[in-house]
Amino acid sequence: MLSLRGELDLASAPLLQGEIEGSEVAGAAIVVLDLQDLEFIDSTGLRVLLTAHERSRERGQEFAITPGSQQVQRLLSITRVDEHLRVIASPDELLV
Amino acid sequence: MALLVEAGAVLATSLDLTTTMGQVARLTVPQLADLCVIDLRNEDGSIRDVAVAAAEQRTAEELEALRASHPLDPAGEHPVALVIRDGTPVLLPAMTDALLSSFAQGSEHARFMIEHNYSSAAVAPLSVGERTLGALSVLRLGDGEPYDGEDLELVSELARRAALAIDNARLYSEVRGVEERLAAVLVNLAEAITVVDEHGQMVFANQAAADLLGTPTPDELTSAPAGTVWPRFLVLDEDGRELDLDAMPGRRLFRGERAEPLLVRNIVRATGEERWLIVRSSAVTDPETERVLYAVNVFENITEVKRAQLAESFMAEASRLLASSMDYAETLKRVAQLAVPQLADWCAVHLLSDRGEIERVAVHHTDPAWRAEAERRSLTQRPPLDKRNGVPEVIRTGRARIFTDIDPDALARSAADPQDVELLKEIGATAVIIVPMLGAGRTIGAITLISSESVRRLSRADLALAERLGRRAGTAVESARIYTERTRIAHTLQRALLPESLPEIPGMEILALYSPAGELNDVGGDFYDVFEYGDDRWMLLIGDVCGKGARAAGVTALARHTLRAAAMGGQSPAGMLDMLHRALRRQPPGADLCTVCLVTIERTAEQALLTVALAGHQPPLLIGEDGRASQPGQPGTVLGVVDPIDIRETEASMSPGETLLLYTDGVPEAGRSGAQLGEAGLLELCVQAPGLPLAELLGRIERAALESAAGRLRDDIALLALRLT
Repeated sequence: MLSLRGELDLASAPLLQGEIEGSEVAGAAIVVLDLQDLEFIDSTGLRVLLTAHERSRERGQEFAITPGSQQVQRLLSITRVDEHLRVIASPDELLV
Repeated sequence: MALLVEAGAVLATSLDLTTTMGQVARLTVPQLADLCVIDLRNEDGSIRDVAVAAAEQRTAEELEALRASHPLDPAGEHPVALVIRDGTPVLLPAMTDALLSSFAQGSEHARFMIEHNYSSAAVAPLSVGERTLGALSVLRLGDGEPYDGEDLELVSELARRAALAIDNARLYSEVRGVEERLAAVLVNLAEAITVVDEHGQMVFANQAAADLLGTPTPDELTSAPAGTVWPRFLVLDEDGRELDLDAMPGRRLFRGERAEPLLVRNIVRATGEERWLIVRSSAVTDPETERVLYAVNVFENITEVKRAQLAESFMAEASRLLASSMDYAETLKRVAQLAVPQLADWCAVHLLSDRGEIERVAVHHTDPAWRAEAERRSLTQRPPLDKRNGVPEVIRTGRARIFTDIDPDALARSAADPQDVELLKEIGATAVIIVPMLGAGRTIGAITLISSESVRRLSRADLALAERLGRRAGTAVESARIYTERTRIAHTLQRALLPESLPEIPGMEILALYSPAGELNDVGGDFYDVFEYGDDRWMLLIGDVCGKGARAAGVTALARHTLRAAAMGGQSPAGMLDMLHRALRRQPPGADLCTVCLVTIERTAEQALLTVALAGHQPPLLIGEDGRASQPGQPGTVLGVVDPIDIRETEASMSPGETLLLYTDGVPEAGRSGAQLGEAGLLELCVQAPGLPLAELLGRIERAALESAAGRLRDDIALLALRLT
């Protein structure tokens, strides 16, 4: 599980990109991006989110996100990306 | 009494101890004595005779030889030893052979005294205060009158006076020793030292002072009349203000003021040489009146230290200026201003253009009139590259040139360009330094420094700093040029991505606003387009490609052209977006994500019919004349990243006076979390004044977005507005 905090934009997206390619994420069975503390996301952030999703599918991992701030949720719904991702209420939902 | 007067005269004439004592001893013979001996106590306590006088010279010589081989035992019973120990006079009116033998220093001494018929003696201490320096002995040989108390008093008085003379002579020789040592120290000191009396006359100077003050020998300084040395120099304080002689610490001493060490910039008027000196002065005062007799000035030459320090701060300031802006022409002007008057009276900067021409980009002088005149001159504006000397030569060779002690008449006879000579003559140049500005492996220009009306002249010592300035400025210009080039390319690209101008649409007013975030070097991001794709059918679109740079620019171009092609091909709005989606999916992997808000407009007689299709983008704002607003459109999938996509078309109508606003998310999301304009804020701005001219409306929105972002946008802002008329 990766917990994101603050803002995911042009400046911070490479950090997440690096984490996704890291061995810890690559070796996991389930990948959860916890967006509960994510305040802001832009189109670049969205792309990294979708890249993470894509990579998980290639690796055969289960992938899910938790809802972020209003802005994050709005962007996910405007772009209808939320329809393509599994959104869970909290990280615990997958673990039980 | 006559003896004492005579003795006084003798004692006053000389301060040489041996000579004086010899004279005193001789005075007593034969009047007062047949034999006179003066003994002194050495510092180690031993006793030595300094003077022996006798009626017969042989006797004196024999005694001296005897005393040399048999020195008196200071602890013994000899009357001289007793007197020196006790400090009281001894009178021996009648001496027997037995007595003489009792205190003799051995049998030879006893035989000498007996043979010479020592009969009577008076021995008085040579005392100064509590100290006994020695003893004065007078002796009668043979049958002479024995000494009595009166004789002893006379001898004591003589001894007292002699003691004072001895003490003075000692003090004198000590003082002279100190003075000689001091003088030797002063003369050999590396630091320049002068001693000046109250009339301003230099009474002492060492060689270092002569070197510093520009005379071959110290004598020339001490023989120069008072007040003739100072005018040879221009003396400035640290801030360049001229100092008066009265400000010097030595002068302050004579006025009874405190004399703090003073740092001065001293320039030799004759040569223009500049030195930095610390002047320290101390007073020599009359011990009784406490009047200041002399000022001792010590000059510490800290030129090298001070120059290095100034060079560092100059380079730091120059580097700060050079790094402050990418507008290098403006920056070089500021560097020229920095160099004047700190380094030189004139500074000019020339650059080599891409076309291989030399162009002057800056020239500076403190006097604006001179500056204007220089700027007007065409001579130094564009010197031809093949010109033999001067700036072109330095740019061609990449090597600095320095010309010191310029003599225009000598120059005129040389091979130098007559026009250059004329110019140098006109401005009164005394020295010129031209240094290359070095870019990446090549000379890209030159900096010229000229000293003219200032007393200070440029010298070799300035060359190193000038060369550093040239290198630093060269690097700055080179990187600014690269940056400018990149910016130019970015501008060109960005213009290619956005329509040159918006088309004229009958019955409609249309306006766009685009404000890129961050550096101009980054292209891509937001885009918009307006075009006609059928009879009176128009398309407005606005979109956002994620990321910045070359890849985003490529995707932006792809989006614009694919949508145009799709529109011309008769696709429905949803079909157009689907076509773009498929085009993006065919791109190399990397999840190129694109959002689009697309609106087609069909004008009818009374109103306009709108079809809105959204792909991951906010719906447009439709604002009525009454300030009521709506957001036509249904959410559609963002393009290029997920399959399948779902795009829906929404129809709406628009009446005259109504305004349609398309925008990218950079507008509501400008600024950090919490400080954003927001969708609500944007809506509020629009409905507040629905009748506002479009230019004013877009301006207001941009200002609000910039304000919420505190002037630094993190994403582009694009606005496209349309109003039916």
